[in-house]
Amino acid sequence: MNEELDSQLSAMFDNELPAAECELLARRLSRDEQLKARWGRYAVMGAAIRAERGVRLNAALAGRVSAAISSEPVLAAEPAPQPRKRWAGSWWQPVASAAAVAGVAIVSILWMRQQMGAADSVPVTQTAAPGVSVPLVATRSVPSRATPSINTAGSDSYTVPRSPGRRLIVPSTELANYVVAHSEVSSPMARRNLLSAFMASESGTAGTSAGSEEPIEDVQDDAKNPQ
Amino acid sequence: MSADVSDLSLVRRVQRGDKGAFDALVLKYQHKLVKLVMRYVRNPAEAEDIAQEAFIKAYRALPQFRGDSAFYTWLYRIAINTAKNAVVSRDRSPIEYDLDRNNTDESYDMQGRMKDSETPEGLVLTDEIRSTVNAAIDALPEDLRTAIVLRELEGLSYEEIAAAMDCPVGTVRSRIFRAREAIDRRLREVFEGGLGRVEELG
Repeated sequence: MNEELDSQLSAMFDNELPAAECELLARRLSRDEQLKARWGRYAVMGAAIRAERGVRLNAALAGRVSAAISSEPVLAAEPAPQPRKRWAGSWWQPVASAAAVAGVAIVSILWMRQQMGAADSVPVTQTAAPGVSVPLVATRSVPSRATPSINTAGSDSYTVPRSPGRRLIVPSTELANYVVAHSEVSSPMARRNLLSAFMASESGTAGTSAGSEEPIEDVQDDAKNPQ
Repeated sequence: MSADVSDLSLVRRVQRGDKGAFDALVLKYQHKLVKLVMRYVRNPAEAEDIAQEAFIKAYRALPQFRGDSAFYTWLYRIAINTAKNAVVSRDRSPIEYDLDRNNTDESYDMQGRMKDSETPEGLVLTDEIRSTVNAAIDALPEDLRTAIVLRELEGLSYEEIAAAMDCPVGTVRSRIFRAREAIDRRLREVFEGGLGRVEELG
């Protein structure tokens, strides 16, 4: 056996061989039984020098493991993916995802603004069943047209401003569903940014038009539930 | 240089389906692993069984190993968990170790294996290997002996040994290799027929 090869084997055993040489020697080591036997004796030397008490230096453990492994299926050809390499090798994927999410966000916001402009805010009056407490949506934005009434004793009706409430909740639910449905092609950060931006936008709208935070809570619930 | 580069090259080969590379990892770490497991169980045969199970678990889990930690660190954790589970399992079925109470097949088998692991012949072989290695080390020139002892006993890197011995790293590598060669010449006689009783290498 050539001396240079043995010298490499000794250095490899100590994890002191350069990576490129390791690759070549590892290949040879896995196939060359003579080299493997020498490698095994290096391990025995170390154990003997360290005087590891109770450890049998002539044990058949390696042979038993090898026999057991021989009946195991061969491992998958592809090792576990390494995050850094994957990121470096496909840099365009996150960029494309972000662009797709941004496009969806712009279209959604434009569509919602269009919907909000077209909708009316005529309140409707409903009759509540006696004794049933119904949550109310504040209607401070239209005080002259809709008079909110709290379900107090002696009162049997209340007024619900239908359109603003629907405008604030339904598009958010649809958007959340849309985002969830396309979650496979968008990153979690992008989805979170989209929903945050949308909710911030809704918050501003609600603050100026409806003056209530309750619909925003509904939006948040809708966004959380699918996830 | 990465501290785990050679192990990682073997691991990558196993992950690509080369089972022979796993043999090398087992040969390298079997003694360390058995010693580790013997913190939990005193019986050498049982420790070897647990170490064997840990190696097989490691092989099965190897596709998930990414190399974020050193291979031995990862293997160490598997062995510790396997040993703990074995101890818990053993404590739940103490009858296997209660040799005096019932002479069941299981307890009888365990008794037999305990004896097998501590046969005079087995102990003689281990002692023979140890004394051969120690004699070979004593016969080494001072510089080779210092290099191999610092490496194997103290676990120093080549760079640290070079600093300690005030010589280049290449010289350290050469000294350690030559020390191993000298020891191996004697050790091979033990393994290859000097005694003719060696069960199996490593």
